[in-house]
Amino acid sequence: MKTFDYEAPVTIDQTITLMSKTRGKTLLLAGGTDLLVQLRYSNQDVDLVIDVKGIPELNQINYDEFSGLVIGAAAPCSQIYESAPVLENFPAIIDAATIIGGKAIQNRASFGGNLCNASPSGDAIGAMMSLGAICNVVGSEGVRNIPIEDFCIAPGKNALEKGEMLISIQIPSPRPNSGSHYLRFTPRAEMDIAVAGVGASIELDSDLNKILSARIALVAVAPTPVLATEVSESLVGQKTSGSLLEKAANIAKETISPITDVRGSASQRKHLIGVLTRRCLDIAVKRAVQVS
Amino acid sequence: MTSKIGVDVSRIDALDKVTGKALFPADLMSSDMLHMKILFAGRPHARVRSIDVGKAESCPGVIAILTASDVPVNEYGLINCDQPVLVGPGSNKKGADTARFVGDQIALVVAETEEAAIKARDDILVDWVDLPVITDPYEAMKPDAPMLFESRDSNIIKHNKIRAGDVEGAWKNCEVIVESIYHTPWQEHAYLQPEAGISYIDSDGRITVEVAGQWVHEEQKQIAHALGLTVDQVRVIHPAIGGAFGGREDVSVQIVLALASWHLHERGISRPVKIVWSREESILGHHKRHPYNIHAKWGAASDGSILAAEVKMVADAGAYEYTSAKVLGNATLQSTGPYDIPNVSVDAYAVYTNNVPSGAFRGFGGPQGAFAAESQVNKLADKLGIDVVEMRRRNLISDGSIGQFKSVYPEGVTIRQVVEECADRSNWPITQVDNSLPSNIRKGYGFACALKNVGFSFGFPEECWAKVELHGGSEIERVVLHHAGAECGQGAHTVFVQMTAEACGVPIECIQLEAADSALTKNSGSASASRLTFMAGNSIRGAVDLALENWQSEERPAIGEYKFVPRQTTALDTETGECDPNITYGYVAQRVIVEVDIETGHIRVVDVMSVDDVGRAINPIQVAGQIEGAVVQAHGYTLLENLVSRDGYIETAQFSNYLIPTSLDVPERVEAVILEYSDPQGPWGLRGVAEMPFLPYAPALIAAVHDATGIWFDEFPLIPERVLRGIDHSVYGE
Repeated sequence: MKTFDYEAPVTIDQTITLMSKTRGKTLLLAGGTDLLVQLRYSNQDVDLVIDVKGIPELNQINYDEFSGLVIGAAAPCSQIYESAPVLENFPAIIDAATIIGGKAIQNRASFGGNLCNASPSGDAIGAMMSLGAICNVVGSEGVRNIPIEDFCIAPGKNALEKGEMLISIQIPSPRPNSGSHYLRFTPRAEMDIAVAGVGASIELDSDLNKILSARIALVAVAPTPVLATEVSESLVGQKTSGSLLEKAANIAKETISPITDVRGSASQRKHLIGVLTRRCLDIAVKRAVQVS
Repeated sequence: MTSKIGVDVSRIDALDKVTGKALFPADLMSSDMLHMKILFAGRPHARVRSIDVGKAESCPGVIAILTASDVPVNEYGLINCDQPVLVGPGSNKKGADTARFVGDQIALVVAETEEAAIKARDDILVDWVDLPVITDPYEAMKPDAPMLFESRDSNIIKHNKIRAGDVEGAWKNCEVIVESIYHTPWQEHAYLQPEAGISYIDSDGRITVEVAGQWVHEEQKQIAHALGLTVDQVRVIHPAIGGAFGGREDVSVQIVLALASWHLHERGISRPVKIVWSREESILGHHKRHPYNIHAKWGAASDGSILAAEVKMVADAGAYEYTSAKVLGNATLQSTGPYDIPNVSVDAYAVYTNNVPSGAFRGFGGPQGAFAAESQVNKLADKLGIDVVEMRRRNLISDGSIGQFKSVYPEGVTIRQVVEECADRSNWPITQVDNSLPSNIRKGYGFACALKNVGFSFGFPEECWAKVELHGGSEIERVVLHHAGAECGQGAHTVFVQMTAEACGVPIECIQLEAADSALTKNSGSASASRLTFMAGNSIRGAVDLALENWQSEERPAIGEYKFVPRQTTALDTETGECDPNITYGYVAQRVIVEVDIETGHIRVVDVMSVDDVGRAINPIQVAGQIEGAVVQAHGYTLLENLVSRDGYIETAQFSNYLIPTSLDVPERVEAVILEYSDPQGPWGLRGVAEMPFLPYAPALIAAVHDATGIWFDEFPLIPERVLRGIDHSVYGE
C-alpha cells in the first residue's frame, strides 16, 4: 500500500473544497470494505483519502410518502436493514442489505459505496435499480440527479465528474399493490460475490392479477448492472401466471451476453439468469399480493 | 479418585487464546528486530542465470540480501533433500539454480522495516531462462518428457505395486464390473495463521527459531543440515500454533529465518529477524493436498462379494518430493478400502510436475483412495440392487482378516461395529419420502466408511519420548511433564495433561507442562498421522511408571524418562506390495443427507452422522470437536474449494476466490457418535481421531447426490456449475 493523506471532514462543503483543492488522485471512503482492499492490492497512486463517514447527512435514512426513501451515501447496510420504514416498504432493499458480504461487513459497507464502486455484481445496485432510484450528486458546480441506470458506466467506473460526490440515493415510495425482491446466486452462502443476480419490482392492478408496471435489473451479466426493459415490457398489461413469468425469464436470458470468469461461465450465468428471474418475479408478485 | 480421562476437561490453553495472551508467531516482537521478505520465483520452471542485488542493496534500510551462494548446504526436504533453500547460481548443490514451481524462494531481504524489505525485494533483478513447463503428471511420466531434475532419468518419484491373487482370472466370475476414472482436487490447508516466525541467537549461542510447525526436532534437524551445523547448535520453539493440518509438516520459513540470523551473527549483528507471510504468500508458498487420478475397475459376484479390484492411480506431487512417497503408500492402501478382496492389483505413482508441491494434509492420501474405493462399492451395490450397508456387511474386514498386503490386520478391527452403529442410528435403509420439498429440490442419502492408520506407516521409524518429574514429600504435589508434541490447536496438550494426571493419580491442576522446545525435550515425533494421543499416551505412561518406581525408592524429585517405540511396521515389497503396513487403525462410518437444487446445482448438506471408533475418548468434547472439524474441512474439499492452477500459476491465491466454507455453509447438523472399542496397543485402549472423519465424507456426500439426482460424480469439488453440468447437459448446449 502506498502512503497517502487522510482527511475526515464533517460537512459536504468541506469535502467539496478538499476535493477541489487537491491536485492528485482523491478517493472517498465510506465503509471502506471495497476501497481498503483495492488500496492494499493495487499499486495505484492515491494522494488523498477522504473519509465521509463523519458527515451527518451521509449517514441518515429518511422516509416520507411524498419524497420517498433517502439513504445517505455512507449509511451502512446494518442501519438500512434495521430501519423501520425500509423494513415496511422496500423488501428488495432489505434483501440486498442482508446478503452483502457477511454480518461484520454489513456493519461497515454502505449502499453508496456499493454504487460508487460500480462493480458489475453490485447487489445493492441491482436492488435499487429495480426500485427506480435516483442518485443525488453534489459538486462545486452544484447539484445533479442521476437515474441509477445511468450511474455505472463501466466496471469500476461511475458517472461522477472530478470534484463530485454522491450524497444520497432516493427511492420513490412504493405504489399501491406493489412488491419487490432481490435474489442472487453465489456458491457460498456469505462472503461471496454474485455469479448472477436479479432485482424486480412489480405493481399490480387493484384486482391483483394484472401487472401495471415492472422494473427488472440484472446483475453480474454485463459490464454494469443493467435494466432489462424488454423483460418489463413483456410483463406490463399481462395477467400474472407461471407461464408469463417463465416467458419473462426466457426473455431475460436472451437479452444478456455475459462473460466467463473465475466465478462462473457465460452459459452458467445465462442459465442462472433464467432461474433467478422466474424465482425473483414470483416472490415480487407474492409480496405485492401480501402488501395489499 | 475420579478419573481424569474420559471427561470434558477445559482446554489448558483456552483462556490464553480467548484473551489474546497466547502469542502466535506473528505476535512475537522485539524492539530491535529486523524484518525479512522473500523474493519468490513467480515462474513455474526457469533457470536463474544471474541475480543482480546491487540496486536492492542500496535501498535505504536494507541490512542484508541473501541468495543461493550464501546457503552452506543448499538443499532440504523431509524425506528427500531435493529442494534448494534458495534457488540461484553459485551454491554447492547441483540443479539449485532452477526454480521448479512459482513458490521457489530466490532471495531473502532483511531490512529495518517490512516496507523497506518489500521495496528492496522489488528492486532485485533476476536474469531468467524459461524452461519447458510440465503440469500434467501423465505427460511427466512419459520416458521422453523433460526431466525436472537433471540428475534423474524419470519424473516418477515412487511406484507402489500390489499383486494379490489373480485379478485377470477373476473377472469372468464377476456378475458386475464397475470401471471409473476418479479425479480429486488440490486442497489448501487454509489455517488461520499464515506462516510466520522470529529468529535470534539465544543466550547459549544457539540459532533459535520460534515458528509454527508440527515437529520441533525435525525442523531443528533440517535447519542444521542446510546450515552445516550440528543439531545442538540449533533450537526450535513452537509458540501458539494457528492450525496445521499437515500444512506445516514440511518447513516454510524455518531454514531461511535461521540462515538470516546466522549470517547477521557472523557479521556481528545481534538483532532478531522476523517474517510474516501474507495470505497469498502462504497459498503460493506451501504445499497442497495431492490431486489424484484414479482408474478403478472392480468386480463383484451376484451375492455382492467383491472378487477383484484393479486400481491405477497417479498423484501429482508437484515440484518437490515432500511427503509424496509416504502419502502414496497410504493412498495405495486406501484405494481398496476396508474390504476383504481376494484379487487385488494396484499400481500407484507419484510424479514430479511444475505445479505447487503436494504433501501432507489431514488424511494423507486417505481421502483420495477412500473416495475411489467407497464410490466403487456404492456403484457395485447400485448395479446389483443390494443395499449399500448390506453390500458392506458382505465384504468388510474383521479381526483375523489378511488384506492385500498379506499380513493380518492389527487386532481390534471394528469397521463392522461402526457401520452397524451408523446404519442403526440413522434407520438405514431410508425409504421415507419427503413430500414437503419444493419441486426444484431433490433429497438424497449417502453412506460410506473408512479406516485410518494411527502412527507412521510402511516402516517409517516411529518413536515418542516423555519425561516426568514427581515433586513433593510424602504425597506427590506437583508433576512436571516434558514432551515435544505440538499443540496445533487440536487440543494435544490438554490430553497430555489429562493422561499424566490419570497415570500419576493426581489432580489435573498438579500437572505442569514443559513442551514445544527442542532444547528442553527429546523427539516425540510429529503432530500428524492421528498419532499424537496414542504415542504420547504410551510414552507418558512409560515415563510415569518409571518415575513412580523412583518415587517408591524415595527419589525426590522422582524422575522417569521413557521412549516409547511401537511395534515395527514394514515397507511395501517392490513387486507384490507385501508388508505389515501399520501399527493400528481407527474406524469410521458416515451417513450424509443432502438437498440438491436441480435448477442451480447448489447442494445443501442437511445432516451428517459420523460414527467413529476412537478406542477411548480422553476428552470427549475435544473428540467431538475433531469430528465436526474434520467434517467441515471435508465439506469444503468436496463442495467448494476449487484451487485453479493454469500452466503452473495458481489463480486462486486469495480467500476471495479460493472459497472455504463459512458458518452458513457447513452442514446444518453434525452428529458425532463416539465409540470406544479398546485397541490392545493403545494407552487406556485409545486409537486416534484427527483424520478418520475426513475420509468417508466425500464419497458419502457424492452417494447422497447420486441418490438425489441419479448422477454419479467422479470428480469434485461439486461446485454448482459442475453439478448443473452433470444434471442438465442442455444448459451447456451439450
